[in-house]
Amino acid sequence: MSRILQLSLRHINSVTKYPNQATNELLKNCARANSNKTRTNSDDLFQEFTDWETLNKKKTVSKAMKAYLERAREHDDFMKKQEFEFTVGKRHLANMMGEDPETFTQKDVDRAIEYLFPSGIYDPAARPLMKPPEEVFPARKAAEFDEAGRPHHFLFYTGRPNFFKLLYDASEHIQNIYKFEDKVIRKKAIPDPNAKLELTSSVWYSKEELEQHLVENITELEYENFKLVMERLVSLPYSYRSKEFIEKVRKPIASQKFALEIPKPSYDEEGREYITTYECLRKKARGDVTIRSPGSGKITINGKDITYFADTQSREQVTFPLLFTGMEDRVDVECNIEGGGPSGQAGAIRWGIAWGLRSFVDKSMIDSMQVAGLLTRDPRKRERKKPGQPGARKKPTWKRR
Amino acid sequence: MRNSLYVFHKLCVNITPGRWPSLLLQNRLYAKYFPDFFQNPIFRKEDQAKLIENNELSKYTTVPVLPPSASETSMHFDPLVNKVINHIMKDGNKKLARSLLEKAFENVKRKQIERYHLAKTPEQKAKIELDPKNILHKAVENSKPMLQLLPIKRGGITYQVPGPITEHRSLFLAIKWLLEATTEKERTVHFPEQFAWEIMDAANNTGKVVKRKQDLHRLCEANRAYAHYRWQ
Repeated sequence: MSRILQLSLRHINSVTKYPNQATNELLKNCARANSNKTRTNSDDLFQEFTDWETLNKKKTVSKAMKAYLERAREHDDFMKKQEFEFTVGKRHLANMMGEDPETFTQKDVDRAIEYLFPSGIYDPAARPLMKPPEEVFPARKAAEFDEAGRPHHFLFYTGRPNFFKLLYDASEHIQNIYKFEDKVIRKKAIPDPNAKLELTSSVWYSKEELEQHLVENITELEYENFKLVMERLVSLPYSYRSKEFIEKVRKPIASQKFALEIPKPSYDEEGREYITTYECLRKKARGDVTIRSPGSGKITINGKDITYFADTQSREQVTFPLLFTGMEDRVDVECNIEGGGPSGQAGAIRWGIAWGLRSFVDKSMIDSMQVAGLLTRDPRKRERKKPGQPGARKKPTWKRR
Repeated sequence: MRNSLYVFHKLCVNITPGRWPSLLLQNRLYAKYFPDFFQNPIFRKEDQAKLIENNELSKYTTVPVLPPSASETSMHFDPLVNKVINHIMKDGNKKLARSLLEKAFENVKRKQIERYHLAKTPEQKAKIELDPKNILHKAVENSKPMLQLLPIKRGGITYQVPGPITEHRSLFLAIKWLLEATTEKERTVHFPEQFAWEIMDAANNTGKVVKRKQDLHRLCEANRAYAHYRWQ
C-alpha cells in the first residue's frame, strides 16, 4: 500500500530503461582489463606492450560513463525494489480482498483500489492508483556514448538527437518525394488519385505524446516546427510514399462508442414502446425526454405543446431531429425541462430527442445523424466573469493614466 | 484557447497514469472548446445525399462532429437567407432581424398570391413564383454585379479602373445594395414592407438595385480605356 504514496513522489524522478547487454559488455571489458593487469609480469615483451596499451585504453573510461553506470545501477536496484514491492503488495491486496493471489490480475487490482480508497477527486489522474512500475515510471534513454565518452548519435550535440533526427528524416522524405515527382513529370504520368493519404481519422501526437515517443523534452517552438514540417510533408501529392513514416507520429482519434450501446425500448401500460433519456443538458438547462412509438407526432414540453417556445428558432431546434429522421408523425415526445433560457432548453431537448430516436431508427440513419452532429453533446457553459475586468475576456479600455 | 484545447484533449483521449500535468488541474467546464479535429456537421439532406452517392458517409462517421449551432441549422436552413438575416442584424439581435425578414417574406407571399388570383389564364398563373425564398434568391442573383471599379493612382491622378469581381464580394454588394435601397424610404413605411417591394422588383429585373448594378456596368464600360492600369 505504501507504494501508492510513493508513486506521487517518485514520478518526479525520471527513470531509465538500460540495455542490459551494453552494461554487461562494459563490465566484461573492465574484468578483462583487471585480468590483464595481473599478467603484466609476462616474459613476452610484445605481449606486455599490448597489455599496457589495453590497460591505458581502459583507464580512459570517461567520467560521464562512470556516472552513467552508477545511475544505471541505482535505477536497476530501484526498479527491482519497486517490482518486488508491487508483487508483494498485490498479493497482500488479493488476500485482503479474499481472492486467490495467483490469479489476481491488474483489473482486479484497479477494482480493489477503487473499492478500498473511494475517491471523489474529479480528475481521474489524481485518484489513488496501483500500477506495475514500468507503467508508472516513464522510460528514459540508454547510454548515448561509449566508454571513451564519444557519442553514438551523429546529432548528439544538438541536445535532442531523437527530435532532430525526426526532422532530418522528414526533410529527407520531402526531398525523396520531390525527386519522385520530377521523375513522374519527366515520364508525363499523372498521380494516382486512389493512392491518397487518409488522415481524417488520426491526429498528430500532442507535445506530451511526442515527448514520450522520443524520450526527450522539447520546447513549444520545437513542437510547432515539428508540426510545420510534417504538414508540409503531408501536403505533397506523393506523400503516400512516406505513409509509414507519417503514421509513426500520428494517433487515431478515439472512435465513437455510442453505436454499440443503443438501449432497447421498454413497454408502457398501453403497450407502446418508449425510451427515456435522462440528463439532457445544454447551457444551464437540464431535463429528460421520453419518446413513445407508435405515435402521432405530439410534442409535450412541461405539459404544453410546442408553443412553449415563443421564438421560431427554438421550435425549429426541437423539430430538427424529428424532421431529419422522418419520424415526425410516427412518435410522440414528452419532455420535462428546467433551468436556462429558451435556446438552452431547446438545445437540450434536441439532443434528448436525437439520443432517444436511436432506438427507433436503423443503422444508416444513426450514421447520418452522427454526421449531422445531432448525437454530439455540447458541453460548453457560460464562462464566468473575472475580477478586474468587465467580462469573461473583455478588458477595460487602455488608459495612460 | 490553446490551453483549454489541451485540457479537453487530455480528458477526452487519454490520461497517462503517473503524470499529473498542472494543466489538468486547471480544468473548467466553461473553458471547453472543441479540438481542431472535430469536423463541421453536414446536416442538409442534399449534402448528405452527395456523401452517400460518393460512399464517403462511412468515412465521416469515424470522425467526431461538432454539434450544429442553434441559429444556423435546422431542416429549413438556407445559407443565403441566413446571410441576409446577418446583414439585417444590428447589435447581435438576430431574433429581431429574423422576424423582420419573415415579415417581408409574408408580404411577398401575400402580394404574389394576390397576383396569382388576379391572373386569368393558367399559363399566367404558372409563371407566378409563390415561394418568397426563391424570389429572394432570384433578386440577389439579379443584383450581383459582374465588374467593379478599383481606384488606382497613376502619376498623381486616381483612376477608376474596371476589373473583375470575386463571387464573395459580388454577393456582399448585392445584399448591401438591396438593404441600402430599402432604407431609402419614407418614415411611415416599415422595413418589411419596403424590403418586400425591393426584392420583388429585383427578382423582376427592375427597380433601384438593378439600375444601380447597370450603372456600375456602364461606368466600367466607359472607363475601359483605363483597364491597363490594373497591371501597368
